[in-house]
Amino acid sequence: MDDIWHILRDGPILLNIDDIKEKPGPYTISFGFDLRPLVRSIREFGLINAPIVTRGEDGCMDIVAGYRRIMALRSLRWKKVPCIDLSDSGLEPLELLLFNLHDNISTRRFNDVEKGMVLNRLIPFIPGKEIREHYMPLLDISNTMNLDILIRLEELDTQIKESIADGTLSLNATRLILDMDNRSRTAIFKWISNVKLNFNHQIQFIEYSTDISIKEEKSISELLDEEQISRLLEDKRTNNPQKAKHVLDLLRSRRSPFLTRSEKTFKKNISGLNLPQGVRIQHPPFFESPEYRLEILFRDGKELKEKIDSLAQIDRLKKVGDPWQEDS
Amino acid sequence: MRKDRIKKILVEHGAADHNLTSSVLKRLDNLPVENIIPDFPGQRHDFQDMDKETLRLIKFKGEVLKPCPGTRGYICCGYQILHVGTNCPLDCSYCILQAYFNQPSLRIFVNLEDELIRIGQIIDSHPDKIFRIGTGEFTDSLALDHVAGWSDILPHFFTARKNAVLELKTKTERIEGLLTSQYRDRIIVSWSLNSPYIVSKEEHGAPSIKKRLLAAKRCQAEGFTLGFHFDPMIQHPEWKEDYMRTIEMIDRFIDPKGIIWISLGCLRYMPALKSIIRRRHPGTHILDGEFVRGLDGKMRYFKPIRMEIYSFIGEVIKKWYNDPGLYLCMESDEIWHKSLGWSPENTDGLSLYLDKRVIEFFG
Ligand code: SF4
Repeated sequence: MDDIWHILRDGPILLNIDDIKEKPGPYTISFGFDLRPLVRSIREFGLINAPIVTRGEDGCMDIVAGYRRIMALRSLRWKKVPCIDLSDSGLEPLELLLFNLHDNISTRRFNDVEKGMVLNRLIPFIPGKEIREHYMPLLDISNTMNLDILIRLEELDTQIKESIADGTLSLNATRLILDMDNRSRTAIFKWISNVKLNFNHQIQFIEYSTDISIKEEKSISELLDEEQISRLLEDKRTNNPQKAKHVLDLLRSRRSPFLTRSEKTFKKNISGLNLPQGVRIQHPPFFESPEYRLEILFRDGKELKEKIDSLAQIDRLKKVGDPWQEDS
Repeated sequence: MRKDRIKKILVEHGAADHNLTSSVLKRLDNLPVENIIPDFPGQRHDFQDMDKETLRLIKFKGEVLKPCPGTRGYICCGYQILHVGTNCPLDCSYCILQAYFNQPSLRIFVNLEDELIRIGQIIDSHPDKIFRIGTGEFTDSLALDHVAGWSDILPHFFTARKNAVLELKTKTERIEGLLTSQYRDRIIVSWSLNSPYIVSKEEHGAPSIKKRLLAAKRCQAEGFTLGFHFDPMIQHPEWKEDYMRTIEMIDRFIDPKGIIWISLGCLRYMPALKSIIRRRHPGTHILDGEFVRGLDGKMRYFKPIRMEIYSFIGEVIKKWYNDPGLYLCMESDEIWHKSLGWSPENTDGLSLYLDKRVIEFFG
């Protein structure tokens, strides 16, 4: 690394900004950032640290470090940029990559898309075992299962990547949409981002949609384009939480019609009993266990006795039970 | 049946000196062999295909005889699992072993004979207890018999014990080894059965029902006691007619008096298996039904659906033969009552019921 200090000491040279590649290239690992503060700072104080570049095989300059600075300078319409050029440093591509990685890691946390970028750039050079043992902890990746997902994030559309980077689309939900065809993935993402589904709802929404699409042998995009479903998204009278509830209820009842019908019948039967205030009868989760639950809220023994007496008067209580018995 | 696809053998450190290793290597002397250091526990592999083309010979360090783990809230049959290996050359879309991706390859435990000495002591020291032992929990009991030679090792061990039976559970026709062995007493050969539709769509590489039943018929003719397991039963279009076809075929080939038991179990799976099934078997419809999370955390059909399946199949079987030793695998007392009209009430009750069948058949 002696050479690099030499070059750094020699200071920057001025390069035409158009000679520097716009794409992130093999070394940079920045995605999903807000450029505005940096633009403001450069406008007020100028460029404090020179970006670092190196000449690529095609003769143009790849950015080694300072991708965001160059983007900010482009937006400020700078024509020339002072850069440190490592073309003659003798550094290998892996060394340049690690130089940028450590430069970044010391100052900020990577988002998931950036972690994927780091992994993709390391994989050609570093054995899997070393990635798992050394780079996973360095990048704060706790679950090996996530490696496979992270390295595939770069394949996704920019909008989806932005949602992953800003933490509004969960990695678990992303795992479920990665292998979908593009149209289906876009249709799912449209719902998730427009309605701002929370993480649990994202998973439910994707799982219901996937299950129904397989069961009914239609694509997810065809399913979500159906008038009955797309109408819910467009409905101007409902807010996002209501839209989320409506669509999940609808998909769930289509995914599990017998179960949802049973739940509805049970609810209807119980509400027809006119139970005293503060008394509830609940079915077990999914009706799996045979035991139903009675809950009585009371302030004192007198009130409890009154409620029990009035419960005892309800003859139809005898009919409380498995709702599918009436169905059949 | 799918031809053997074993392409290489890995002998893990510590496995080389065992007799079983030598006999496997002799049987497969045309395959490349590599000696390797065993995986450390929890080591991750990326074998999406489960690496069924590799055979690992392993000195198994865990408990070789273990009670079936049972599951909270449901009645278990009280079976004991003899751990002779894991994975099998077939590739059923519902196979639970797909979830154990950190244990790839076909695995044969070569220290079985040493362990049998210890197991013999356990069995012999509990003369009042009946040990119903099976090898078909983590592998198919016979799919690798021509390689492992289990039928050379196990039958005489069990025949010699009056308080144990061995159940070999299979989907294959690999009965040559068994038929050449001289032992019949206290051995149950049982077949996992399904509807012809599920067999052809979901049990990749497995023989048809007819072939399985022809193998069963041969075993019966050769003096073996039989068992059948309808597990996992799966809803599909015209499932009733289709399962009836299987029962009709049993009627055609098998004498019911020689069947010790028939179990019924609906498809159930750990939630984590779902995405693995979707990835490994993209066209499958086995997950289409209405599944809910059971009391043990596993996904099962919504209760009335299970009750309908059990009542229907149970009724058809009982009409065919009135004493089939019918039991449900991992179901609740309520489901037993509502589907079969009685219940053993708990695991002890079911164990007792099955032990009695053993005594009836083997004394
Ligand atoms: S036969 Fe059994 S062990 Fe083999 S793949 Fe099928 S379910 Fe799995």
